[in-house]
Amino acid sequence: MPSSQHPPAGALALDPTALRSDVGDARPIRVGPGEVRATLEGLQADGFALLLDIGGVDYPGREPRFDVVYHLVKLSPAARTLEAVGRPERVRVLCGVTEREPVVPSVADLWPAADWAEREVFDLFGIQFSGHPDLRRIQMPDDWVGHPLRKDYPLRGPAQERSPRPSFALKSNVAAGTPVAGKTAAALQRQIAAARGQAPPEKPA
Amino acid sequence: MSTIVPRALEVVEQTPGSMVLSMGPQHPSTHGVLQVMTQIEGETVTKAEPEIGYLHTGIEKSAENLFWTQASTVIERMDYLSPLSNALCYILAVERLLGITDRIPPRARHARVLLAELHRIASHCVWLGTGGIDLGAISGFFYAFDLRERILDLTELSGGARMHPNYLRIGGLRDDLPSGFLDKLDAVIAMYEPRMRELRGLLQKNPILQDRMIDVGILSAEEAIAWGTTGPVLRATGVPYDVRRATPYSGYEEYEFDVITRTEGDAYARFLVRLDEMDEAMRIVRQARKHLETPGPVMIDDTKIAPPPKETIALSMEALIHHFKLVSESFRVPPGDVYQPVESPRGELAYYVVSNGDNRPWRVRTRPPSMYNLQVLKKIAPGELIADMVVMIGSLDPVFGEVDR
Repeated sequence: MPSSQHPPAGALALDPTALRSDVGDARPIRVGPGEVRATLEGLQADGFALLLDIGGVDYPGREPRFDVVYHLVKLSPAARTLEAVGRPERVRVLCGVTEREPVVPSVADLWPAADWAEREVFDLFGIQFSGHPDLRRIQMPDDWVGHPLRKDYPLRGPAQERSPRPSFALKSNVAAGTPVAGKTAAALQRQIAAARGQAPPEKPA
Repeated sequence: MSTIVPRALEVVEQTPGSMVLSMGPQHPSTHGVLQVMTQIEGETVTKAEPEIGYLHTGIEKSAENLFWTQASTVIERMDYLSPLSNALCYILAVERLLGITDRIPPRARHARVLLAELHRIASHCVWLGTGGIDLGAISGFFYAFDLRERILDLTELSGGARMHPNYLRIGGLRDDLPSGFLDKLDAVIAMYEPRMRELRGLLQKNPILQDRMIDVGILSAEEAIAWGTTGPVLRATGVPYDVRRATPYSGYEEYEFDVITRTEGDAYARFLVRLDEMDEAMRIVRQARKHLETPGPVMIDDTKIAPPPKETIALSMEALIHHFKLVSESFRVPPGDVYQPVESPRGELAYYVVSNGDNRPWRVRTRPPSMYNLQVLKKIAPGELIADMVVMIGSLDPVFGEVDR
C-alpha cells in the first residue's frame, strides 16, 4: 500500500481515474461523446441489461473538463437461480465531455432508468443529453441558476461570498514553548504515573 | 447556457377527458416529501409523474468539502431508516482505495454485518408499520415499531445515538461493543420470532390487505431490469440479484442465508419478499452473534489511519503527533476511483468515490436505490386506480433522504 501521508499528486485538476484503476471493482472503458452511445448499445446487446447509475465528475482545468460515468452490470432477466446470476461482471464507461460543448447523446430510449439519472447530471453539472424526452431540473427548483456540483460553484450558494476550503494546518492559539502549569500539569503527572503503574505523586501541601 | 425549463404542471396535461390531480408533497402516504402529478380519467390513472427534490440538501457537495472521516457523518443522513448501510458502503469504498480491505479485524467485520442486518430489520419494520397504516391497518404499526425501538436501543448502546451513531469508522469501529451488548441482543433475538408471528397474523393474512395488494402494480423481470430497480422490487419479479451474493463484501461469503424471490411481481410479492427477508436477516444476526463471542481488536493496527489509544498519548510523542495530525488534517487517500455496492434494505446502494490524493474526497456519487425504484412508478401506475397509488408507493419503499440527498 502506498503511504497514506504522501503529498497530493500534482494539481487539483488531475484525473485520478487515469492514474490508478487497479482496485478491481469494474472494467473501465474510456470513450468520447461520439462513441458512447455505440459502446453502450454494444454492451446492452452483450448482456449488460442493468444500467445501475449515471453520475458526473468535474475536473476543472483538465481537457475535457467533465466525466459522465455509466455503471453497468451483466444481469439477464431470465436468471432465476443464484448460480445463473453468479458473480456478475461490472463495467464502468467513462465519457469525457468538454466545457465548450457539454452534450452527450441520451440513452433514455435504451434504458428507461436513464431518464432521471440524466436529468440529475444535467441539473447538477449542466451537461446536456441530446434526445432526452424531458430534460429539466430534478433536484434543484426549476428557476435555479447554476449547477451546484461543479467545482467552481460556491459551497454556501451563489448569493454568499465564495468560501474557499478552510486550511486547518496553520492553526494554533497557544504560543509555542509555553510550559504547562497549574492543574493541567498536576493532572498530566497523575495520568503518567497511573499509566506506569506507580503511585500518584504527592499533592503539594 | 440557457435552457427552456417546462414547469412540472406542463408535463402532465389536462385534457377534455381527464383531470390532473397533484398528490403531495404534503400527502401523509407519500412517506416524506413526494409529489406525484397524476392524470386521471374517472378513477383510473392514465399518467403519473413523480416530482422529487423537495428534500435536496446537497449531501454530495458537503461530502466533497469534509475530511474522509468526517464525510461519513453526512453520508449516514441519506437513508435515515438504515444509516449504517450508507456508512458501511462509503467506508468500504474508502478502505478499498486505501488498500486496507484485507486488514480489517474480523471482529469489526462481523459487528458491521450484525448492525447492518439489524438495521435492515428496523428499516423493514418502518415500511411494514407505515405501509399497513396507509391501507388502514393501524394495529400492525405498534407491533412493528416496538421491534424497531429495541433495535434502536441496541444502536444507541453500541454507538451512543439512536439514528446516526457514526459508529463505523474507516479501518474498523469507533469502539468495541460495550459489555452487556450481547445479552441485550439475545433479548431482541428472543422476541423476534413471536413478534413476527403476530405481525404476519395481523398483516400478511389480513384479507383486506391481500385484496388491496394482489395484482396491483405488476412489474415483469424485463421491465424491472430496464428501469434499474434492485432489491426487493427486483427480487419480487423472480431475479435473485442480491449484492451480498453477487459481489460479496465485509465477509458475507461466510454467512448462510437464502435470497428470497417471488415471481408475481405485484405489490403483494414485494410485501412477502420483504417479510421473508427480515427472517433471513435475523438468521445472519444469529450467526454474527456467535462470531462476536470471541474478543479481539476492532480497529486496524495502523496509526496513520486509526487514532492511537488515548492512554498512549500522554506517554508517547509519536502517538501525540499522530493524533494531532489525524484530527487537524486527517489522512490522505491514494488517487483512484472505486464503485462499491452494498445491499441496503432498498436495493443496490453504491458509492462511486474519486480521490485525487487529497485529504478530502474529490467526488462521492451515490447510486440511490430508492430513486431508481421510485422512478418505476411512472411505469406501474398507469391503468391502476387512483386509490391504489398509495399501495404502489408503499410497496416501492422509497426514503426521501436518499432519493433527494
